[in-house]
Amino acid sequence: MKRINSMCLAIACIVCIGFLVPQLATAGSGNDPIIIGVPTSLGFTSGRECLKSVTLAVEEINAKGGVMVGDTKRKFQVESIDIRDAAPGVPVPEALLGIEKIILDKKVHAILVGPFRSEALLASMDIVAKYKVPMLGTIAMTPASEEKIKTDPEKYKYIFRVGINVKYFVGYMMGIMNYLNKEFGFNRVFIMHQDVLWARGGAKGFSALLKKGGWSILEVEAYPTGASDFSTGLIKARATGAQVILPIFDMPQAGILVKQWRSMKVPAIMSGIIVPLAGSDAWKAFEGKIAGALNMVFEIGSIPVPKVPESVHYFNAYKQRWGEEVQEQHGPAPAYDSVYILAEAIERAGSLDPDALVAALEKTDWMGAIGRIRFDEGHQVIFGNDPSQTALGCMIQWREGAKRVVVYPEVIAEDKILLPTWMKSAK
Amino acid sequence: MLLSTLVYGVVNSVILALVALGFNLTFGISGIANFAYGALYILAGFGSWMLLNALGLPLLVSLPAMVLMTALVGGFIYRFILIRVRGMVISEVIATFGIGLAIVELFRYFGLVGFKYSLPVFVDGSFLIGGVFLDLQRAFIVVLGVVLTGTLWIFTLHTKTGLAFRGIAQNERTVLCFGIDSDRIAALSMGFGGGLCALAAVVILPLGTISVDAGYDVLLQALAVCIVGGLGSAVGVIIASFILGIAQTFSAMYLGTHWMMIVSLVAILAILVIRPSGLLGKQKELEERI
Repeated sequence: MKRINSMCLAIACIVCIGFLVPQLATAGSGNDPIIIGVPTSLGFTSGRECLKSVTLAVEEINAKGGVMVGDTKRKFQVESIDIRDAAPGVPVPEALLGIEKIILDKKVHAILVGPFRSEALLASMDIVAKYKVPMLGTIAMTPASEEKIKTDPEKYKYIFRVGINVKYFVGYMMGIMNYLNKEFGFNRVFIMHQDVLWARGGAKGFSALLKKGGWSILEVEAYPTGASDFSTGLIKARATGAQVILPIFDMPQAGILVKQWRSMKVPAIMSGIIVPLAGSDAWKAFEGKIAGALNMVFEIGSIPVPKVPESVHYFNAYKQRWGEEVQEQHGPAPAYDSVYILAEAIERAGSLDPDALVAALEKTDWMGAIGRIRFDEGHQVIFGNDPSQTALGCMIQWREGAKRVVVYPEVIAEDKILLPTWMKSAK
Repeated sequence: MLLSTLVYGVVNSVILALVALGFNLTFGISGIANFAYGALYILAGFGSWMLLNALGLPLLVSLPAMVLMTALVGGFIYRFILIRVRGMVISEVIATFGIGLAIVELFRYFGLVGFKYSLPVFVDGSFLIGGVFLDLQRAFIVVLGVVLTGTLWIFTLHTKTGLAFRGIAQNERTVLCFGIDSDRIAALSMGFGGGLCALAAVVILPLGTISVDAGYDVLLQALAVCIVGGLGSAVGVIIASFILGIAQTFSAMYLGTHWMMIVSLVAILAILVIRPSGLLGKQKELEERI
C-alpha cells in the first residue's frame, strides 16, 4: 500500500511538472505579441473603418516579421471593444468602462483610435494616465485635451492625437472661404447647420471669423437631426442673394441638401462639411446629383492625393485588403499611420516601457498617409498646407463621372474650383 | 419669397395628405387602430431598396411588389393579432404600436442605418414655378396625391367594399345583420391602409433617404392630420393637410425649422381642446352637440 501511494505521488509530480514546464518556458519569453487595443464606437462606419485600417497596418508590419523590441522581433496583435460612445443616449461612464476593461483584460500595450465624443476622450485621459498606457486617438477633436496635457504634462503625457483637431479644421474651412473670396469675389454666405452641439459651435465660430474677414453672414439656419427637406433654407439663400452656402452636417440625410440645391438651381456654391458626401459611395447613394459640391476631407488618405504617395498607397492597400474604398473622411487614415508611428517609437525606445515609449513618440517624425507626422507640445499632430512639413486635410469637389477632385490647399490641388453652370463669378 | 414658400407649402400639404390617407382609411373610416403605420412605411422603403439592390429587380417590378407585400402584411396583422383584441381600442393601439416598434427597431438592430439606403426618383429634372425651381418628383407626388384622394373618396362613398369599411366603424353588429363579414372587411381595410402607406412611401422616400426614425415621424404626422381633419372624413383630411402643410412651411421659413414639428403637436392639442371630433369629423359629433 505504501509502495503504491509513493508511486502515485511520483506519477502525479511528473505530470504536474510536464504541464508546468511549457508555461514557465514561454512566460515572458519575448515572443509574446505586442497588444494594440482599439476601444471605439464599432457600430459606426468611422469606428469600423478605423479598426480595419489598424488591422491593415498590423498585417503589413507582421508580414515583414514584426517590430524589433530590443533584440527580439515581436508581432502586433489587435484587440477591440465597442464602447458605443457615439450612440445617442449612451452615458460617458459606460464608454469609460469599455476602455478600462480592454486595458485590464487584454493587457494592451497601447490604445489606438479611442472615443468619438470629446467628453468621453477628456474623461478617459485619467484612466489612461492611471494605467500608463500610451493612447493615440484619431477621432475626438477637442483642443481641450491638449490644454489638459499642458496643465499636467507628467500625468497626461500618455495621450496623443494623430487625427485633426477643431483648430486646424476651422483653419482649413477659413482657408477655402478666403480662396473663394480671392478667386470669385464672393463675400455673402448663408450658413446651414445641424442642430447638434458640435455643428452649433462650428456655425457660431465660423460666423464670428467670417464676419471679421469681411463676409456678410446672411443667415444661420439650424436643422434638427433627421430633417430631410431643406427647401425653406434654400429658398431663403436664393432670396437673400447668397453666393456661398456653408453646410455643417453629419447626419445621413444631409446629402439631400445638395440634391435639392442642384434641382432648385440656387445660385450659390455649396462649400462645407457634409459627412455623407466624403466617400465614393455618396455618388450612387445620391444618384449622382452632388456634382459641384465642395466637401471637407479631414485627413488625406481617405482621398488619395497624388503628391503624397503614402496616401495613395494606403488608399489602394485598404481597397485591396477589404474589397471596398474607405468612406469616412475622418479617422481611418490617421489610425493606419498610428500603427506605424507606434512601431517606429517602440524600435527607437527599444522597449515597451510606457515612459520610454512616450518619450520616443514625442520625437516622431514620420511620413505617413496623412502627410508628415510630428507632434506639438500638446501631443497634437501638426496640420498645415505643405505635405513635406505637416499633415494635411483638404477640400474636394465632386465632378460629373463620380470624380472627387482635390481643389484645396493649392499645393496639392488637382484642379481649380468650378462653379455650377447656373451661377457666375462675382468678379 | 412668398410665392416660393406657397409653392413648397402646397407640395408639403399634398405629401402630408398622401401619408395620412392610409391611416385615415383604417383608423378613421374603419375604426381600426393601426399604430404600426409608420413601421409599414419604412418596411415598404427598405423592402423596395432590397428588391432593387440585393435582388436587382427593375423599379417597375420592385415598387408594385412591395406595395402588395406591405398590404398583405397589414392584412396579416389584423388576421393574426388584431382579431383577438377586436373592439378593445386600447388593446388594439398597444398591440399595433408594439408591432410597429418591433419592426422599426429590428431594422436598426440589423444596421439599416446610413445614407446608402435611398430609392431612385421616377422622373428627373426640375421646372420653374413661382420663381422657384420645383423638381419633377415633387410635381408627380402632387398629381398622384390628387388622383389618389379622388379615387379614395369615390371608393369609400360609391363602392360596396368602401361602404362596408364605413359600416363596420359605425355599427359592427348592424353590418353583420347585412351579411357582411366584419373581420374580413377589417382585414381588407388594414390591407388597403398598408398598401396606401406603401404607395406613399415609394413615391415620397426618393426625395430623401430611408431612415428608421422616419417610422415614428410618419405616424405622428398621419395622426396629426387625421385628428385635426376629423376621423372618418376624407375631406377633413385634405383640409387638415393643407392647414398643417402650409403652416409648417411658413413656420420653417419665417420662424425656424424647429417649429415644423411643433406645429403638428400644437394642432393636435388645440383641436382636442376646442373640437375633439376634428374639423369635419362625425364620430363624436353627437356627444359634442349634447
